[in-house]
Amino acid sequence: MRLQHRLSLAGVAAAFVMGFAAEAQTPDLTGSWERYRGPAGDAANPPPEAPPPLKASFRAEWEARSAARREADARGEPQASNVTHCIPDGVPSMMNGPFPFEIVQNATQINIAQEAYSQIRRIYLGKPQLTLDDIELGFYGRSVGEWRGDTLVVDTIGIKEYVRFRDVPHTPDMRITERFKLVRPDVLWDEITIDDPAVLERPWTVTFAYRRMPDYEIIEYVCEDNREYADEDGITRLRVGPAAEAP
Amino acid sequence: MRTSRLAAAALLVGGMLPAMAHHSFAIFDHTQTYTLKGTVRSFQWTNPHGYIDLDVASGLKGVDRYTVELTSINMLRRAGWKSSDVKAGDEVTAIVAPLLNGDEGGLLLELKMADGRTLVPPVPAANTFTRTP
Repeated sequence: MRLQHRLSLAGVAAAFVMGFAAEAQTPDLTGSWERYRGPAGDAANPPPEAPPPLKASFRAEWEARSAARREADARGEPQASNVTHCIPDGVPSMMNGPFPFEIVQNATQINIAQEAYSQIRRIYLGKPQLTLDDIELGFYGRSVGEWRGDTLVVDTIGIKEYVRFRDVPHTPDMRITERFKLVRPDVLWDEITIDDPAVLERPWTVTFAYRRMPDYEIIEYVCEDNREYADEDGITRLRVGPAAEAP
Repeated sequence: MRTSRLAAAALLVGGMLPAMAHHSFAIFDHTQTYTLKGTVRSFQWTNPHGYIDLDVASGLKGVDRYTVELTSINMLRRAGWKSSDVKAGDEVTAIVAPLLNGDEGGLLLELKMADGRTLVPPVPAANTFTRTP
């Protein structure tokens, strides 16, 4: 009995040490983060964002839409969009900020909770990716990840067509590959590569940098009283007057 | 030529980076402000925006009630605001960028309280709003 107890204690200790050794190689990303924009020349600044390498037909449409949106803004009649209706950003736009997000990490899963709209994405470690037949399209898709040395590589599929990054169209086949890496102990990069051969000439990579916020606790965000709406012409309007009665 | 065009495009996309928290601030007039004196009917601490429902005493002819929109309360919290900072019955002076369509509402740029406090909400690109008397 006593020997058994000792053996099991030794087993626990060994498992702990082995676990600790494995953990030691894995960066700890747990905590709050927000977009980092360092001074000019800071090596932690990611490369400037490149425009999407859209195929010609999609590019013309995208540029026309972007121009129309800029003109509508200049007229003071901004086009309504998902955010007008408090529809969350989804992946990968939620990585853009400007609100902070929180990473919670363990050996089998990493959750990223974006403060805006209280969005959560879940990244399963060590699990195979499914096929589109097995998942429903959504805002966050399905993400699996693995540590390759000090880099967390995340594969995401299954993003809804109208959940767009930079308003770039995509098909259900869009695949997003992210590489999370600490470029400094307190600066994290997310190198996001979007691949969708039906729409893009080649994969499109955008990298965001984030700074660690050691004492920041994420604040809840519920669209409790959204007074913006789209009028019959699709223009963003603000409802004025007293607050609606609480439900 | 090709490089400069690409660089210009990159600049354009880069310019989109300070993304709007919720809606476009293009609905508000960037060329003038109103200075409204009045009494707070309610201070609503909600997302996606906070609101002050204001009884207007002076500052805008023919208008006695005004909807003052604030930023997201998360941004207010980070800027040090509390839901208890403003109460119904408070006498205030609100500097607002009015809605462009003429509706009786605007974006709060600054709030002066009767006790001498000046509360400034963290409006993104606040310096793009021109203050007028």
